[in-house]
Amino acid sequence: MANSQPPLVPCSKGLCGGKGLLTLKEGAWSNNPLAIQMLGICSALAVTNRLESSLVMGAALIFVSACSNLFVSLLRKHTPHRIRMIAEVAIIATFVILFDQFLKAFYWDMSKQLGPYVGLIITNCIVMGRAEAFALQNPPLLSVVDGVANGLGYAVILAIIGFFRELFGTGQFFGCVVLGGEWYTPNQLMILAPGAFFALGIVIAIFNALRGPQGEENKK
Amino acid sequence: MKQGSFYTLGYAGALGSVCALLLTAASSFTAPYRLANADAEMKRNILDVLGVRYSPDASSRQLLEVFAAKVKQEDSGELTLYRYIPPADSGEVETVAVAFAGPGLWGPIKGLIALGPDAETIRGLTFYEQEETPGLGGEIASQSFREQFEGKKIVDEAGNVGIIIKSGGQSAINKVDAITGATMTCDKVEVILNEAVRKIVKEFKK
Repeated sequence: MANSQPPLVPCSKGLCGGKGLLTLKEGAWSNNPLAIQMLGICSALAVTNRLESSLVMGAALIFVSACSNLFVSLLRKHTPHRIRMIAEVAIIATFVILFDQFLKAFYWDMSKQLGPYVGLIITNCIVMGRAEAFALQNPPLLSVVDGVANGLGYAVILAIIGFFRELFGTGQFFGCVVLGGEWYTPNQLMILAPGAFFALGIVIAIFNALRGPQGEENKK
Repeated sequence: MKQGSFYTLGYAGALGSVCALLLTAASSFTAPYRLANADAEMKRNILDVLGVRYSPDASSRQLLEVFAAKVKQEDSGELTLYRYIPPADSGEVETVAVAFAGPGLWGPIKGLIALGPDAETIRGLTFYEQEETPGLGGEIASQSFREQFEGKKIVDEAGNVGIIIKSGGQSAINKVDAITGATMTCDKVEVILNEAVRKIVKEFKK
């Protein structure tokens, strides 16, 4: 990867024409798909009652959005404008099903826990949104960075929610009991749906507070 | 860039074919693993309902080995029997399990029922597939509901075949309490179970 200079990008600094880091920061932090754009909320609520399932879901999204961005970008000059969305969905669906099949074959328990939510990544607004908004206008490598960045932004939030929901809801960390004994009673609310809403709301509030007024400027 | 209809059609066809090819390849590559996992899952359910002990973090392959070593599968008429004959000194009793399936309220209900050596006393019951309302009908899969069946008989003192799932009333050797608020699911489970029970009794009375 390091020795392939993209000839298409003028005045290229580094692999992605100097835009790599900015794109990464944009996706993972300042324009975080979950906390700022409020996309992908459904799966974020559904799969985060365990840290492990949150991480797998995050990995799935990184994989899918990186791969679909890559191919949408590679094909962007050949895709007829009228059917571009169908083409995007076909590409996204292919990678989602690949990941789903992989889980079913080698990670059966996790596949059962996540249930339909892996397949539902096909309809995840983050993936489709990045393909439509970014990969269609940008070169392949930069699109991959953007896909990874947005996947990462989603995965990190999921991991944080998953960590706290598992910790308070079951007293466990990766399935090992850390809060237990007589002094801690697991709060069942945290592993049920309302707990997911509370956790997501709190995480988004903290995220926005950390990001500060800069975010407000961006919105204008 | 102006593109004609033929180009668009060709592009859609080509992209679709490539995606389909990729998915077919992936599916046939993972098929043996997926089938083995599904098979192991079914066998884990059978081992559980029979009360066979195995390591909780056994891999799919280990499960299949335990199953092959301890459970005898035999076809008997319409039924497939899974028979577990424990070692003589273990203090466990011979158990036989039979799968059942039927329509629930929202979707199919599938499960296994395990009977003791007399082929009348229930030793275990599981529902490994059900889509009933979570919190109401879904409670059929809960331990507290399923445990009620243990020790009950599928034939009452008078010789009538069948299990009764009903709230209140006199307790009986073949009756368990229904789940409050889940009458429809309980009725359907009763029908499914009794269909299986009738087949079992017919098979063992031969």
